[in-house]
Amino acid sequence: MRVSPWWIPTAVLVLALFGIGSASLVAVPSYTRDFQPAAAAAGAAGQRTTVLLVEGLRCVDTAERAAVQLEGAPGIIRFEAFASRNRAEVTYDPTRTDPAAIIQAIESPVYNEETGEVAFGVYRVVEVDGIPRDQIPATGK
Amino acid sequence: MLKLTRRVFQIAIVVAAVVTGWRFAMGWSLTSVEKYCPFGGLETLYAFLTNQRFSCAAGELNLTLFLALLGLTLLARKSFCAWVCPFGTVSEGLAALGRRIFRRSGRSPGGGYRQCLEPPRAADRWLRLLRVPVLLLILYFTYRTGELIFRGYDPYYILFSFHGHDVMPWSYAVLAGLLAAALLVPMAWCRYLCPLGAALWPLAAVGRMRLARSEAACTRCGACDRACPHSLDVSGVDQVRSGECTLCLECVHACPAAGALELRLEGVRR
Repeated sequence: MRVSPWWIPTAVLVLALFGIGSASLVAVPSYTRDFQPAAAAAGAAGQRTTVLLVEGLRCVDTAERAAVQLEGAPGIIRFEAFASRNRAEVTYDPTRTDPAAIIQAIESPVYNEETGEVAFGVYRVVEVDGIPRDQIPATGK
Repeated sequence: MLKLTRRVFQIAIVVAAVVTGWRFAMGWSLTSVEKYCPFGGLETLYAFLTNQRFSCAAGELNLTLFLALLGLTLLARKSFCAWVCPFGTVSEGLAALGRRIFRRSGRSPGGGYRQCLEPPRAADRWLRLLRVPVLLLILYFTYRTGELIFRGYDPYYILFSFHGHDVMPWSYAVLAGLLAAALLVPMAWCRYLCPLGAALWPLAAVGRMRLARSEAACTRCGACDRACPHSLDVSGVDQVRSGECTLCLECVHACPAAGALELRLEGVRR
């Protein structure tokens, strides 16, 4: 069947929009770490999840390192990173920690044991639960 | 009008890539140019299917753009290369520049893209196969390591990321080599090395939209052959079935005989 050549740009445009639009339907984390597997699996009432937009969280490696930053921080239950969106979802026990403390832990620089220089401390939280960072109270537990 | 539309598409996408890359490089935005690369979707496909995870910095947008690209290729062949790919646009620009240089020096009779250095047909056919090992190597090492190992060699990323992550000094040497090649041989990267082109090749070959040549209207002047950036033999076939056709429509624009070349949608009966 003979068709108009305008079908080509139309197809390009429609499928590009489909590709961009359908990305939001795929929600698969780049990296997940359960700090308290039993609590994470149970999904106990009282747990909260904070969504952070993190500069420096750009791939699986940097997501893993961000999770390392949370080691030792109290009350962290689960860390999920969506690297391509620079997004981290941290589930925590609100009786033991809060978003400000989580941000502090993620942003703390890690030092090289031999040289004493900053090995990586490359994260900067720019948004918390959709609210710009500078509007978040600076207190932490 | 259609030619102008294609140029508008190409220029808009190049500008968008430059702006996105620059904003990311300056720290004004968290969105990198690699997020819009459909090849990233192919690179992460294995990890996604086997572990429901993405490789390195690849994400859902790469994946859905790649799936959309497969749909586009099944319908409109490699139109992505001619209408969207920003490095394809750069290559086209360099081919046009190369044409001017060679025409002025009087070294290349024949006109059109074939004024540039054009490998002999047999060599061209073999060189096109180079893309397959390039594709397989990239996919193998990406799947094996979980890293986007191609980044430092990817001309799109090197050019538009403004010294992005993994871009090394030798990356610029690679880019310079590819740009020089594009100046000498039209669409050298696309024809001989592009791994995405290799991945789309089989699907493009069965793409439903095809250029058909009317034997009755054709004057066999060869203008279509000379206009084809991918050096396809348009005047010698009744339908352009090659998986290399990007539906750029340069042959249609160059054709002096009205109705000699037209676009057809195969598999649809009236």
